[in-house]
Amino acid sequence: MKYYISEINKDGTIAVDDTILVKGVLCSAGSHIMDGFEPLFSAEAVERLEKAGYKLSGKTNVGEFGLDLMGEFSYYGAVSEGGKLAGAAAALVKKGEAKAALNVDLNGSPRRAAALGGVDFIKPTYGTVSRYGVIPAACSGEQIGVTAASAEAAAEVLGVIAGHDDKDGTSLPQASYEYKTDEGVKGKKIAVISELFDAASDEVKKTVEAYAEGLKAEGAEVKTISLEEAKAAQLAWTVLSAAESCNNFSRYDGVKFGYRTPDYKNIDDLYVNTRTEGLNFLTKATVLYGSNVLSKGRYFDCYDKALRIRRLVSEKMAEIFKEFDAVLVPACGEASYEEYDIKEAFEKTYKEALFTAIPSITGIPAMATGGVQLMAAAFGESTLLSVAAAMERRG
Amino acid sequence: MTREELKGLEQLNEFAFKADEAEKMLEIFGNMKGEEAVMDSFDLSNTDIMVHVMPMTNIFREDVRQQPFAREDLLKGAPEHTDDSWQVPRLVK
Amino acid sequence: MKYEIVIGLETHVELSTNSKIFCSCGGHSSPIEPNDCVCPACAGMPGMLPVMNKRVVELAVQAGLLLNCEISKYTTFDKKSYYYPDLPAAYQTTQWFHPICKNGHVEVTTKDGTREIGIKQIHMEEDAGKLVHDEWTDTSMVDFNRTSVPLIEIVSHPDFRSADEVLTYLKNLKAMFRFAGISECEEGAMRCDVNISLRPEGTTELGVRTEMKNMSSLVSIERAIKYETARHMDALERNTEVLVQETRRWDDTKGRTFSMRNKETAADYRYFPDPNLMPIVIDDEWLGEIRDNLPASIEEKTAEYKDYGFGDKEIEMLISERGLCAILDAVVDGGISPKSAAAWILTECAGILRKNGELVGSLSIEPSKLVTIIKMVEEGKINRGGGKKVLAAVLEKDVDPVQFCKDNSLDAQADEGAVAAVVADVIKNNQNAVNDFLGGKQKAFQALFGGCMKELKGNGDPQVIRSLLEKELEKLK
Repeated sequence: MKYYISEINKDGTIAVDDTILVKGVLCSAGSHIMDGFEPLFSAEAVERLEKAGYKLSGKTNVGEFGLDLMGEFSYYGAVSEGGKLAGAAAALVKKGEAKAALNVDLNGSPRRAAALGGVDFIKPTYGTVSRYGVIPAACSGEQIGVTAASAEAAAEVLGVIAGHDDKDGTSLPQASYEYKTDEGVKGKKIAVISELFDAASDEVKKTVEAYAEGLKAEGAEVKTISLEEAKAAQLAWTVLSAAESCNNFSRYDGVKFGYRTPDYKNIDDLYVNTRTEGLNFLTKATVLYGSNVLSKGRYFDCYDKALRIRRLVSEKMAEIFKEFDAVLVPACGEASYEEYDIKEAFEKTYKEALFTAIPSITGIPAMATGGVQLMAAAFGESTLLSVAAAMERRG
Repeated sequence: MTREELKGLEQLNEFAFKADEAEKMLEIFGNMKGEEAVMDSFDLSNTDIMVHVMPMTNIFREDVRQQPFAREDLLKGAPEHTDDSWQVPRLVK
Repeated sequence: MKYEIVIGLETHVELSTNSKIFCSCGGHSSPIEPNDCVCPACAGMPGMLPVMNKRVVELAVQAGLLLNCEISKYTTFDKKSYYYPDLPAAYQTTQWFHPICKNGHVEVTTKDGTREIGIKQIHMEEDAGKLVHDEWTDTSMVDFNRTSVPLIEIVSHPDFRSADEVLTYLKNLKAMFRFAGISECEEGAMRCDVNISLRPEGTTELGVRTEMKNMSSLVSIERAIKYETARHMDALERNTEVLVQETRRWDDTKGRTFSMRNKETAADYRYFPDPNLMPIVIDDEWLGEIRDNLPASIEEKTAEYKDYGFGDKEIEMLISERGLCAILDAVVDGGISPKSAAAWILTECAGILRKNGELVGSLSIEPSKLVTIIKMVEEGKINRGGGKKVLAAVLEKDVDPVQFCKDNSLDAQADEGAVAAVVADVIKNNQNAVNDFLGGKQKAFQALFGGCMKELKGNGDPQVIRSLLEKELEKLK
């Protein structure tokens, strides 16, 4: 069982997902097809951490290109704790072996891993942390976020890595951000989205309800609302992220770097055998679904509609945040997961997207904490961190 | 989607499924087709597409040349290469 | 039955920028060796993000203005996917949904008259790399220098009716873009996809169309069009074959086209909007700035030079190279008369360059230095011969002209005052010769003249010395 795919410093405190580049350190993105890939530059977030004096501990195991639930389909094997699936970074933070970790959130996997692993993960507003140096999958929604044992620790590390970067054309102009954890909970209005709550298992529902009770006890107002676009957001983000992934993963072909099949006579064999041997079933299924939704006959029927759904959901969430400070929902459908056959992975991750797609498709910040998930309006990170901190102090 | 159509899609994406994988993929396509119907329950005629979640425009760099990466470093990880180029099986015969 | 040829062109033009379109690697003219101008993004490696080169937008808009296009206020980039080893990320960033320019037109004049060619659109995109095929190792070498070099693709309507019109159009584009500094249009920097079909004259429906991709030589384009016209004609008239819509490859040595693999035509490019590149908004203010920065067109410059009174030959020489026009215009702006400026450039500069085996088109000189030289000559500070010497030194070593004159005592000898002093000295110190001359001995003049030349170390203007000496001796008569 591998927590780290590559180790960097024995006394390092920050773990970095293996979908984020560190100069000179082999990078696998959890995939066989990346064999031997040594990045020539570091991600901007990594540079900022190092410049601020933090030391990296190593590159944490991830599922191939970060597409799965929480790393179970890494080429280097799954990480499990007590017979249940776990995220490598979340597990290291939980054990205290790393102070914090950087993870790419493209389909909510670090949120799930944190919620199930008993730690915090915050995905900031899209465009606040540079994506320079992230192995790209779903560029329109993925963001680097921070896993940490407490809201304070998450806020500290996020504050270091956030801010404008010229090398990312989608980076927001603000030069730096200050995140607060002391705004408290009293008087905050929190919405529970019934479509997400109802779809979770009884055990998860109990966790969410307990969190809601805690919020009320701290002086917050909690109200259940309906978001009829919830399922559409789940579907639309699956469409958009699959299509973008299909396009981004087409570069892995055995020509420029990484794995090349030993079995080829011409360029067609080289491509087909390299990709057939180098990619797992979940990646292949994602690529084919993404390719299909972009095809001539399907683009306007599917992809274009998904882009419109994105606006619809964004507008609806903005409306919700006019009335509420934050949203409280499950981070995942089950309280734990066991290893399963990769052929079920596409549908399994699709099912989980109901809980995680809204922040991914709209760019709003989200946080996994206390086994639940919080969402806020764009740039509402301090609200999330403050709520989480208050609830953590409550114990 | 038929097995033949799936084969075309595999070819377009340069890999090949085993028989059991292809079967599973057809099942996935069938299921997703059903799921996609959810988008039709909304009137999208007055909703424009949204490619970028942050409404920014005109993000440019100035036309300045820089060359921070060395050829030999770029070629180092290539599966097959000469002193100055990547190599693939000959394309034109 | 009489048939008419219907041709449409997609013309790719490399833009003259310092850097590539989405990364800062060197642009079109930088590379010397394979993969010299390459970064991880050019090599298809993950992690870098595209950031748009502003200059590319400006050049594309200028091209659109020259071709009378509407300039889009809102323009975006899309990704186009296909596998080929010269396309490192297996996608090309291009403009599919909202191209930068639309609905333009240009006129082409051939022996058959003047006709208007419609321009459907111009879009910006990145170029692909290059492959070099090696028979001995049975491999192809991949060179990514050209990857992401900025291109514009000019898509015409199927409005061409002859190879002649196609060639004239391409030559016009080349001249226009070179003159405006949009593209150097060197060998290979302008490439065409040629779509061709035949239809009975008088009908409007298009016939079965074949496409020939990536053609860069005008000679090949002409031959290919003629070959395809004949092939279509044979198929239509004599049923030699059934025409199918397809992409064909022109083989220059065999002088014919070949059908390409079907895979190519079956491609589904799966275009979608690029999430990494934000939309570009071209408002009236920016458009105005770009328009103001567009250099005068060939027609405008020709008219201006006609007004200066230049001859056709002079105009043709100047127009052939926008650099020459720029030098001439700057020299005129520096206060030199157009005729004099043209003479110095096309006669004196050209003469010096010719001696070194170079053409006047390659002239490179700081216009202010040329202005200084011409002024020194016209104000009589140096003579024309001295002027040529300074000019040669400026062209060869880029010296400072005034300093060069001082260092080589060119200005002193040309100064009539200095020459006069020497003449007076020589007359004073050679009384015998003066008396001989006054006594009627013409030979004595040569002796006095030689004395002056000797004093001036051979640098004096003989004309000036001669006339001054004659004047002074006349006074003594």
